[in-house]
Amino acid sequence: MRRTIFLVFLGTVVFCVAFFGMGLFSPVAPAVPAFARKTGLACSSCHEVWPRLNDFGQLFRDRGYRLERDRDAPVEQDGSFWPIAMRTTVGYQWVRQTQVPTDTGPIDTQTGTFGFTGLDVFAAGTLGSHLSFLIVYTPGLAQSGFQTAPSTSDSDLESAFLGIHDIGGTPWLNLRVGKHAPDLPIDEHRTLTLTQGYNVYHFHPQNSTVTWEPGSNQNGIEVYGHSDLSRVRYSFSLVNENDAQFFSNTALSNPVLWGHVQAEQYLDSPLLAAVKLGAFGSVGWHANSTATLTPTGGTPSPVAFTGSNHKNHFRYGGEAHLYFLSVVNPVTLSAVVWGGQDDQAVLKDDTGAPVGVSNATFIGGFLEGVWTINPRLTLLGRYELIHPSQGVDPALVSPVTGNVKVWTAIIRHTFELTSRTEAALHLEFSRFWFDAGDGTSPATYTGLIGLDFAL
Amino acid sequence: MNRRKSILLFAALPATLAFAQTPTPPRPPDAARAGRGKAVYERYCISCHGEHGDGRGYSAQWLDPRPRDFTRAIFKCRSTPSGTLPVDDDLMRTLDEGLYHTNMPSWQVLGDRQLRDVIEYIKTFSPRWKEEGPGEPIHYVREPADDAASRKKGQQIWNAQACFNCHGQTGKGDGSSVPTLFDDWGFHITPFDFTSSPHRKCGSSDKDLYRTFLTGLNGTPMPSFADTVPPEDAWHLVHFLKTLQVENTSQGIFGISMGQ
Repeated sequence: MRRTIFLVFLGTVVFCVAFFGMGLFSPVAPAVPAFARKTGLACSSCHEVWPRLNDFGQLFRDRGYRLERDRDAPVEQDGSFWPIAMRTTVGYQWVRQTQVPTDTGPIDTQTGTFGFTGLDVFAAGTLGSHLSFLIVYTPGLAQSGFQTAPSTSDSDLESAFLGIHDIGGTPWLNLRVGKHAPDLPIDEHRTLTLTQGYNVYHFHPQNSTVTWEPGSNQNGIEVYGHSDLSRVRYSFSLVNENDAQFFSNTALSNPVLWGHVQAEQYLDSPLLAAVKLGAFGSVGWHANSTATLTPTGGTPSPVAFTGSNHKNHFRYGGEAHLYFLSVVNPVTLSAVVWGGQDDQAVLKDDTGAPVGVSNATFIGGFLEGVWTINPRLTLLGRYELIHPSQGVDPALVSPVTGNVKVWTAIIRHTFELTSRTEAALHLEFSRFWFDAGDGTSPATYTGLIGLDFAL
Repeated sequence: MNRRKSILLFAALPATLAFAQTPTPPRPPDAARAGRGKAVYERYCISCHGEHGDGRGYSAQWLDPRPRDFTRAIFKCRSTPSGTLPVDDDLMRTLDEGLYHTNMPSWQVLGDRQLRDVIEYIKTFSPRWKEEGPGEPIHYVREPADDAASRKKGQQIWNAQACFNCHGQTGKGDGSSVPTLFDDWGFHITPFDFTSSPHRKCGSSDKDLYRTFLTGLNGTPMPSFADTVPPEDAWHLVHFLKTLQVENTSQGIFGISMGQ
C-alpha cells in the first residue's frame, strides 16, 4: 500500500514538473475563436495571467471595453461577432477539516471529490461608441460544487450593468448603472485563487446583522473616472446593502457609499518597475428595527418597508502594490490593510436580541505575492489575517470567535492562450483556520487540481 | 573662373552631392533592450504580428488591414523619405497613438521604457536595420494661413495630382482606381476616406497629414509627392483636405456630447 502511494505521488510529481516546465518554453498555441474578430489581441494583452488584469486590461475596462480607434461600436464590427463567453473549472478537490464537533467529541474529517466550480456565462462589450455593458449569469446547477449535496438553488444574475462613458468628453466622468462590482484593491472576480477569495472583503464581526460585503456585486450606481492611461483612478458606488434584513422606510433602502482612489507611477528602474497606492472606504446606514404585525395567537413579524433606526457601519483601508523587475511579467507584492466597524446596536443573537456591549471593530488585510514568469506560468502566495475586537458580551454569546488566518498558494500553467480562449492547469492549496474563542482553532485544508477554461 | 577651377568644381560636385545624400549610419538593434522587448512582444504583439514578425500571427487572417510584416522593414507612417527606414520616434509615435481604423491600439499605457524595448526587438526581424540607417526626417516649412485662397490652391493641387483617382471626387476613397490598388504583399488596399472620421491612420493633426503627403506610405500605392510638389503647397493641400471632413453631428446619450 505504502509503495502504491509512493508511486502515485512520484507519478504526480513527474507529471507536474513536466507540465509546468512546458510553461517555460512552449510557444503560443495557434487557435482562433470568434471573439478574435473583436480585437485580434491575445488574452495576455489584457490579462497578466487570466483573469488578473494588467494595466492595459485595466485601461480597456475603464474605457468601457473600448480601444478607442474608431472600431469599438458594434456597427463597426464584423456581423458575426457575438460577445458571449463562459468559464468554469473542472477537476478534483480535497478537503480536510479539523476539530469538527460531533456527538462523540471533535474529530477530523476529510473527503475528495470530482466536480466543477459552477459556471459563469457572461456577455460584455459595447452597445455604442460610448456605451458598454456586462451581463454575468450563473445558472443554478444541481450537484454543481465540490463537496456539495445536490442543489436546486436559484440561478443568479451575478452582474448586469450598462456603462456610459466619457460624459462631457472627459474620461474623468463615467457611469455604471446596475449590479456591479465595487472597485477594490484587487478585484476578487479576477483573483487567481479558486479555493479562497479575499476573506476580508466579506468579513463581518461576530453577530453583526450588517450584510454589506464589498467583495460581492452590488445593485446601484457607480460614478468613476480615470486619467488618460488610468494611472489615476477614482470610483464611488452608491448601492443598497445586499440581503439586508428589511427594506428601509426611506428613499434609498439601507444605503452604502463606497469610495476608492488609486494612483500608479511607472519607474525607470530595472528593479522596481512601478508602484501603485490606494485608499478606500465605505459608510453605510443599516435599518435596525421595523414595525411589526402580530397575528392573533402568533408571533410578531416585521412589516415590509418599515425599516428604521439606522445605524452606521464603516470599512476603510489602504493598499500598496510594488511591481518588481518589469511591468510586463512582474513580480508583484501587494499589501492591503482593511479595517471596519459596526455599531453595537446591530449585534444581535439568533432571536434578534441585542448582544453588543461596544461597537464591533476589526482590522485585517493580506499580503500577496504573484510571480508571472511568463504569460503561461504563474506562482502566487497569499497570507491573510483578520483580527476582530470583542464587540459582543461573552456571557450572552459563546464562544466569541477570534482571529481568522488564511494562506493560499497556487501554481498555474496556461497551456492554451489565444485571442479569446484560455485553458490552464491549476494547482492550489490553502489553509483556513480561526480561533474559536474556546481555545480551539478549527482549520480547513483545501487542495485543488483543476482545469480552468474560458471561451 | 578659369578652366582648372571649373574642372575642380565639376569634379567636386559629385562628391558634394554624395556627401549630401550619404545615408545615416545603420543603427543595429540594441541587444539588451531587444532582449527585454522580446517579453513585451510575446505578450502584446505576437497574436497579430506573429512569432517571427512576419505579420502572420494567429489573429492576422481575421484582420483588415493585415498586421505589419516586420521582416521587410517597410513602414507606412514615417517622417523619413519614401523608401527609407523610419527613425525610432516614428515607430514610437505609432505605438503611442495606435492606428485608427485598424486593430492596432495605442500602447502608451505600457510606458516609454517598454515601448523603446519592443522597438529594438522589432528591428531584429529584418536585416535592413543592420545594413541601412534610417532616413533623414523631412523638414516642416512654415504653414501658411488656412484661408479660402489656401484651400482653393489645395484643391488645384488635388486635381493636378489626380488624387481623386484613388480617393474619389469627394474624398470618400471611392476613386476609379480602387479595384487596381494592392499593397506590397498583394493584399487589396482601400484609399482613405477623408469624409468619415477626423482620425487618420498616421496621425490626425495637420502636421501629420503634411508629413504623409511628403513621405508617402511605404508598401502602399500612396506615393511621396516630395519631388513634384513644393513643400508650401503641401500645406495648401492639407487645408483643402480638411474641408472634405463631414461635420460630426452625432450626439451622445441624453443629447450630451461625449467627445471623441
